[in-house]
Amino acid sequence: MALNLLIVDDSAVMRAMILKTMRMSGIEPAEVHEAGNGRDGLAVLKDNWIDLVVLDINMPVMNGEEMLDHMQMDAEMKNIPVVVISTEGSQTRIERLQHKGARFIRKPFSAETIRDTVKDMLGELC
Amino acid sequence: MLNTENWNDILTQVVVEALEKLAFMFAMREDELSDVPEGLPLTARTSFTGPFSGTLVLSFSTQVLDELTANMLGVDEDETNAEQKADAFREALNVVCGNLLPAIGGETAVFNIRMPEIIRSHKQPAGPPAARAILSIDEGWCDVKLFVEGLQDD
Repeated sequence: MALNLLIVDDSAVMRAMILKTMRMSGIEPAEVHEAGNGRDGLAVLKDNWIDLVVLDINMPVMNGEEMLDHMQMDAEMKNIPVVVISTEGSQTRIERLQHKGARFIRKPFSAETIRDTVKDMLGELC
Repeated sequence: MLNTENWNDILTQVVVEALEKLAFMFAMREDELSDVPEGLPLTARTSFTGPFSGTLVLSFSTQVLDELTANMLGVDEDETNAEQKADAFREALNVVCGNLLPAIGGETAVFNIRMPEIIRSHKQPAGPPAARAILSIDEGWCDVKLFVEGLQDD
């Protein structure tokens, strides 16, 4: 099954790095969509079939946690798997994100961590 | 009162690990130096609030930023542009700050970190930093300073 990926991060370099690392770890998305903030990320989700969202937290306009909350309130978006890749260091905040259904990877990340997390979430999809 | 005794070591370790994992760059701590041996033309800062507040300032020599950007993107150095270098610079500072604060403030502490910005080096906070790491990377340098508000008054 093809994997359609959405990467949401305000850093274009980080979005490229996440995609590069996923490919290095053996995950080759069929479609890749990108957004620089949560609001634009939600717009992509409305118009495209997405299998996995990779989400930063600290972004302008709409941050990642706000985007996650919006997804949870939408019947079509709430079951889309989300992995948060962030510099967030507070265990309190990380647990809050996890309670909202997201997996968490702290930056800087290794290819192995991305691979293991995504494959654990999606199984045979990738 | 904050115990800053091992903050230099923690800061060094965080920066070394960030550069290695972000860009496969290997930095060496320069304990003998009290200052970098050359002016570093590129500086970025970010400020944070939380159980304590302050500013983290990161300076690179040009060749370090060029290599960082190229390695993060997985391209040759001559394939990167100024916008990408600025982006990589801010992101590197973001990663260092995000990993430094729980290391010195505790895993349950909640900090808010502002978006990093690139500045002219004279716009750094006044006074001595609470922690500093001077690192050599290939033929370039990295200088990281942590300023904490109110610390000098203790």
